[in-house]
Amino acid sequence: MSLTITCPICGKRSGYEFRYGGEDKGPRPDEDELTPEKWFDYTHLNTCIAGMQKEWWCHRDGCGTWFKIYRDTRTIGEVPLPVEDKIKDA
Amino acid sequence: MKRLSQLPTCRIDPEKKVFITYRGKSYQGYEGDTVASLLYANGIRIFSRSLKYHRPRGLYSLDGECSNTTMAIDGIPNLRTETTPARHGMTVKAQNVVGSPEFDLLGIMDRFSRAMPAGFFYHMFHKPPSLWPLALKRIRKIAGLGTLRHDFVMQVRFDEIYPHTDLCVIGGGPAGMSTALAAADQGLQVILIEARPWLGGIFDYRPAKYLDGFSLHERAGVLSQRVTENKNIRVFLQTAVVGIYPDNQITAFQVGGRPDAYKERYVEIRAKSLVVATGCLERPLLFENNERPGVMQVGCAHRLARTWGILPGKNAVFCTGHDLGLEAAIDLFDLGMEVLCVADNREDGQDAELVAELKKRNIPFYRGWVAAKVKGKKAVKAVTISTVSGTRRRDIPCEVLVASAGLTPATGLLSIAQCKLSYDNHTGFFLPVNLPERVYASGRMLGFHHPLSIEISGRLAGLNAAAGCKETTNGLRKEVEEQLATLPGPPLGSKWVSPPGKGKKVFICFDEDATLQNIDQAFSVGFEMPELIKRFTAAGTGPGQGGIPGHNLPLYVGQSRLPADDPPSPTTVRPPMVPVLLATYAGKNLDMSKRTPVHDLQISSGGKMERVGGWRRARYFSPDKSIREEIEAVRTSVAILDASTLGKFRLHGPDALKALQRVYVGDMTNIAEGKVKYSAMCNDDGCLIDDGVVVQRGKNDYFFTTSTARAGGTIEWIRFHTRYDGWDFHLVNLTDAFGVINLAGPKAREVLERATDSDVSPEAFPYAGYRELLILNTIPVRVMRLGFVGELSFELHVPASYMITVWKILEETGKPWGIRNFGLEAQNILRMEKGHVIIGSESEQRTTLHDLGLGFLWHRNKPEAKTVGAAALKHTENQKGRLKLVGFEMEDSASAPPRDGSIIVDEKIRGYVCTARYSHTLNASVGMALVEDRLSSISERLAIFEDDCNGKLTYARVARMPFYDPEGARLKI
Amino acid sequence: MVFKHEQLLGKSRFRSSYDAVIIGGGLHGLATAYYLAKDHGINNVAVIEKRYIGFGGAGRNTAIVRANQRTQENLPLYQEALKLWPLLTRELDFNLMFYNCGNLNLAHSDAAIKSLRLNVSSAQFHGIDSRLLDAKECKTLVPALDISDRPRYPIFGGMYHPPGGIVRHDAVVWGLARGCIKHGVHIHQNTEVTDIGVKNGKVEFIETTRGKIKTEKVLNAAGAYSAALAYQMLDIRMPISVLTIQAMVTQPLKPLMDHVVSSGAYHVYANQTLKGEIATGSHMDPWPNYTTQNTAYYIKHQAEALTELFPCLKGAKFMRIWGGLADMTPDMAPIIDGNDPVEGYFVDCGWGYFGFKSSAVTGKYMARFMATGQCPAILKPFTRQRFEKHRLMGETAALVEFSPNN
Ligand SMILES: Cc1cc2nc3c(=O)[nH]c(=O)nc-3n(C[C@H](O)[C@H](O)[C@H](O)COP(=O)(O)OP(=O)(O)OC[C@H]3O[C@@H](n4cnc5c(N)ncnc54)[C@H](O)[C@@H]3O)c2cc1C
Ligand SMILES: [Zn+2]
Repeated sequence: MSLTITCPICGKRSGYEFRYGGEDKGPRPDEDELTPEKWFDYTHLNTCIAGMQKEWWCHRDGCGTWFKIYRDTRTIGEVPLPVEDKIKDA
Repeated sequence: MKRLSQLPTCRIDPEKKVFITYRGKSYQGYEGDTVASLLYANGIRIFSRSLKYHRPRGLYSLDGECSNTTMAIDGIPNLRTETTPARHGMTVKAQNVVGSPEFDLLGIMDRFSRAMPAGFFYHMFHKPPSLWPLALKRIRKIAGLGTLRHDFVMQVRFDEIYPHTDLCVIGGGPAGMSTALAAADQGLQVILIEARPWLGGIFDYRPAKYLDGFSLHERAGVLSQRVTENKNIRVFLQTAVVGIYPDNQITAFQVGGRPDAYKERYVEIRAKSLVVATGCLERPLLFENNERPGVMQVGCAHRLARTWGILPGKNAVFCTGHDLGLEAAIDLFDLGMEVLCVADNREDGQDAELVAELKKRNIPFYRGWVAAKVKGKKAVKAVTISTVSGTRRRDIPCEVLVASAGLTPATGLLSIAQCKLSYDNHTGFFLPVNLPERVYASGRMLGFHHPLSIEISGRLAGLNAAAGCKETTNGLRKEVEEQLATLPGPPLGSKWVSPPGKGKKVFICFDEDATLQNIDQAFSVGFEMPELIKRFTAAGTGPGQGGIPGHNLPLYVGQSRLPADDPPSPTTVRPPMVPVLLATYAGKNLDMSKRTPVHDLQISSGGKMERVGGWRRARYFSPDKSIREEIEAVRTSVAILDASTLGKFRLHGPDALKALQRVYVGDMTNIAEGKVKYSAMCNDDGCLIDDGVVVQRGKNDYFFTTSTARAGGTIEWIRFHTRYDGWDFHLVNLTDAFGVINLAGPKAREVLERATDSDVSPEAFPYAGYRELLILNTIPVRVMRLGFVGELSFELHVPASYMITVWKILEETGKPWGIRNFGLEAQNILRMEKGHVIIGSESEQRTTLHDLGLGFLWHRNKPEAKTVGAAALKHTENQKGRLKLVGFEMEDSASAPPRDGSIIVDEKIRGYVCTARYSHTLNASVGMALVEDRLSSISERLAIFEDDCNGKLTYARVARMPFYDPEGARLKI
Repeated sequence: MVFKHEQLLGKSRFRSSYDAVIIGGGLHGLATAYYLAKDHGINNVAVIEKRYIGFGGAGRNTAIVRANQRTQENLPLYQEALKLWPLLTRELDFNLMFYNCGNLNLAHSDAAIKSLRLNVSSAQFHGIDSRLLDAKECKTLVPALDISDRPRYPIFGGMYHPPGGIVRHDAVVWGLARGCIKHGVHIHQNTEVTDIGVKNGKVEFIETTRGKIKTEKVLNAAGAYSAALAYQMLDIRMPISVLTIQAMVTQPLKPLMDHVVSSGAYHVYANQTLKGEIATGSHMDPWPNYTTQNTAYYIKHQAEALTELFPCLKGAKFMRIWGGLADMTPDMAPIIDGNDPVEGYFVDCGWGYFGFKSSAVTGKYMARFMATGQCPAILKPFTRQRFEKHRLMGETAALVEFSPNN
């Protein structure tokens, strides 16, 4: 259980209790805007970044909450939310 | 052999005899013996034959760094006898020999070693091509070490535990114990792990002096007593750490002690801080025949005598590169072994006192000398020692050669913990430079040699670890740091010494029979990086992994290939640190499946249970798997099915409707009171992932069901698709709170009527209705009138604790109509006759709602809901060339239905059969298939290709669904 | 019997211009370079590898080969791939050690039997040997199996595929590298491609840690790093998730298992290598990342699963576990494109945990694609566009777990 993730409700837990929910791609687009191209973009395309990534997780085997974290995909480890992001998300 | 059991350091109990059987003969030893020490005491010198060349192998490190001592014990192969406690009654067998370890017919392989250079197989046996399959068979037979029988049954039990702690200390030597004590004094909860059956480490077996007239052995006793008595310290003995993962997750296995009911125990620890204090190993000395039985490391020889009371032999030559070698020579001499000479590869830097002691005993001492070659085929007969440069040589006949190039830190676990190591010129060690957060190292592995330095470095690590857990200790830490600075630091280590002379059998890796010459061959074909050299020569890929070559290989590559001032880099170490039984990793391996509230009733009614997802469910209720009676009961009378595994949810709150609209393709705005709404959920690809019914029980308060498979993921799904919206709704998973009974058949109403006072007449409770009733005026149930199986049926959602009662009531009231159970297979046919799909059976990953003919469930006029899947449903609505679900009937009404999974073909594959059965009700073979749209019109002929049909196709025609009761009249009675 | 040690890997001069550059000294990259030179006479080719050849999946996989895929778009490719091993062994004069032991996929439910029947029928329809066995026949084939009712997922039957087996992965890497060198291809190790230069919609050069190379054709064969590379260098996003996949071996044993055995329900496959180790793997950690760290969870899971299927393996010991990366697409089939959207840019990725078996054959056709500019029919189904057009390949029937979309 290399990865640990900090659930906003339950605290730091083994990564295997969670479910990965994809890169943070922003709110769901309007249905009428979704041309095949945009639909593909929103549902399937990833940046696959090797580095810091903002992403969604769900505490599946815990409280069930969905939340965002920052993770460095090169080290697997969770990293603290950058300050400017905290402000933006607040 | 007479054992020196009176020695204070000795760990065998001369009062308790132990007998084991080896090669059919009984051998005696004592409690405290390992299998290897017991056999050695009985004169066994050759313990195994090597993998490739079948060279004889004996005791070498005594700590399990190579597979020299592996044997089969009680049917389990490849066990290291040097670390396996001897237990009374064990049966021990030699392995990988034809004959015996002493006389192995395959020993001739050694003569062909020159013909088998590194990479040999890549250039052999492929010409002509027909040669390879034959060669392969032989290679397989010759390869492999021990034999595991395919019918081997593990008779003993295994355990697993998951402790959490503040600090985990690995290594129960002086450093580890000092670490544990220092941290425990600061109030930390400590777990101390030691691989041997006792604490003490490097102090344990040594009579050398500590302070104030105490011996190191006595000091070990003092520390170990303090540790054992400390309430904050939990000690795990005979426990080998095998893995370290981020955030200080540590895995280990513990060998069961005498009173334990288990053989081994998997231990997985979470610690806030971790201290690795695993000390040092010895760096193997490289020379011709450096692994002959009789060649052993210093610790091996010394511990044989001191711990197990066995003198390694009558006489010995010592070739060493560190002071422990000198100390051992002196001690073994004093214990009665003739020490013929001591050669030390260092020119200087020896402890003067030790040198004086050698002199006192008239033991010849050679500085700057090493072993060059061992003579003797199966045992050491003589050793050639020479100056490091090889200019002067001497032959000395002897029985034992104690050989060790120098010390090397046991950093394997640090490496596994992703710690960076860097070569240090002074000590010649790879030292940790970049320890992960809250990971510390202490003791000899940092180069310390002086007993006090070792202990104080341990203390410091303990305080650091405490600081890592909480704020304190600053003053104290400074004090201890200063104290450590005044003590002797790491001594100068011995450097790489190339073996003098041109040896061909200088083994850098014992387990893979890889020689220095093989490494040179790897260089010569163009491999320069240790990782590639390992692959090409196999060095370090055997059971001992990096244990033997891990220290010398990087140094050799460094000095042969790297520019002079480039430091060598260590090779990667991977878990497990030592091989671990699969049984141990598997631990208890508990099977955790869920049972419905009426599980036992199902079994007592003859249900044949199968695992469905996490549940156990009844598939059939007939001993002969014929389900005809089950089906007939549903079609003509009444039967009940346990459907408790269905997902059941409450969704309520101001934004509940919005959430429903998002995930269901249907329109949820106007669900009439007392009605169920059937709908489906798609994923963003427009593919069906779930179906079920929704009921509105009050304002903003819904009750809905999902398929069994989706029950676990539904809340996550709804929350995922609304995660940006900040809506106010609550979801409760009621799956386990309610059991579900499907009461189905034309007589279902009669049965229900007798169980409740409520009016369940067709007028009061029509098809697709929803009612909340009382059974026998007491038990509240939620009832839906549905028709999955195509008959009048009531789905009763019953509080789980009342399930058995309600079930029995229905069985009782249903007696006049011969009510009976039906299971999943009957349901499968019943619903197929009705053309109802089961997700995953009639659909696959790429099957959209349209493909299933369920497009009508999609309400396209709610774009504001941003319904999941709507965009894809729009894009694919009229797409050509997709696989569509169709019903079919066999052309030849007498022919059996094709088996599920058969394909539909013309010149290409055009689809496949999802479900097909012979229908008793219809007296025909019918089924459902996914086929390309151009074959999907009614009456289209389908050619079915079944496996093993030898090209003989069968034919069906696309038929209208549902096959049974197309008007749906039977649902509405 | 003694042979001369010849250089496997020559050292080549670093040129400032090549006719084609291959990013990644993995299986697909080396194979493409080899066939470009051998079949198409294009030998002014460089393979650029950031670490050493075989550093990626090429050196970490469990080397299983088979042709029992689910769809007719995939079957022909893998069928040809299987036939290629003996040919390549001869052609490269390098023993690739194809061990044709056959594969057995176990089914633990009637539903699983059904899905195996689909594969078996499809294989037989294509003239590929594959058949369904009942539990008893499985046991005859693999005596170590427990076919009783005791396991949590009892064995219902299996799909036996005799033409499959294992191939020595290092041998393929080194054999192809040697073949490349012999045909004049340059292999530059310890060199990383850092950018792809595009002008007017055409590839013009690439940037590496050792300098710029002018070229009009580039193949992105960077394995698990391909998607990141495409995004970083060309702003092309891929429907790919990069996950860690682990594998491990036991200590060597005398012959115990004569086939590759796999089980979907238990998420496990196992086979015995020529050295006698039981090699096993299968699960992926369900979150994207680029580390090859292994996990405690995984090795334990693997032991639990294996000892259920083969109770005798309780007496075997794991000695090494390692991790690699798998670049997974939503339908478990690769992505192969060329000249789209950038002229001269080719990509061959998304091979997940199944790209070893197909490497040589894909290289052969990829080389044709690059040489002629025409996509060979056998590769056409694999374009990235299929996802946008809602035409998933169907190589997997089940919804994939690593995508948040299911
Ligand atoms: C544990 C495991 C088990 C597997 N088992 C099997 C199996 O049994 N059967 C099977 O068929 N497949 C298996 N696979 C899959 C198979 O290994 C891969 O699909 C295959 O290796 C892909 O080949 P490739 O050449 O595309 O990529 P790789 O072999 O990964 O090669 C890509 C190379 O590109 C290099 N690179 C990356 N970025 C750059 C850059 N910027 N510049 C230069 N070079 C770069 C990398 O260093 C790497 O060497 C397994 C994979 C793993 C990890
Ligand atoms: Zn939580």
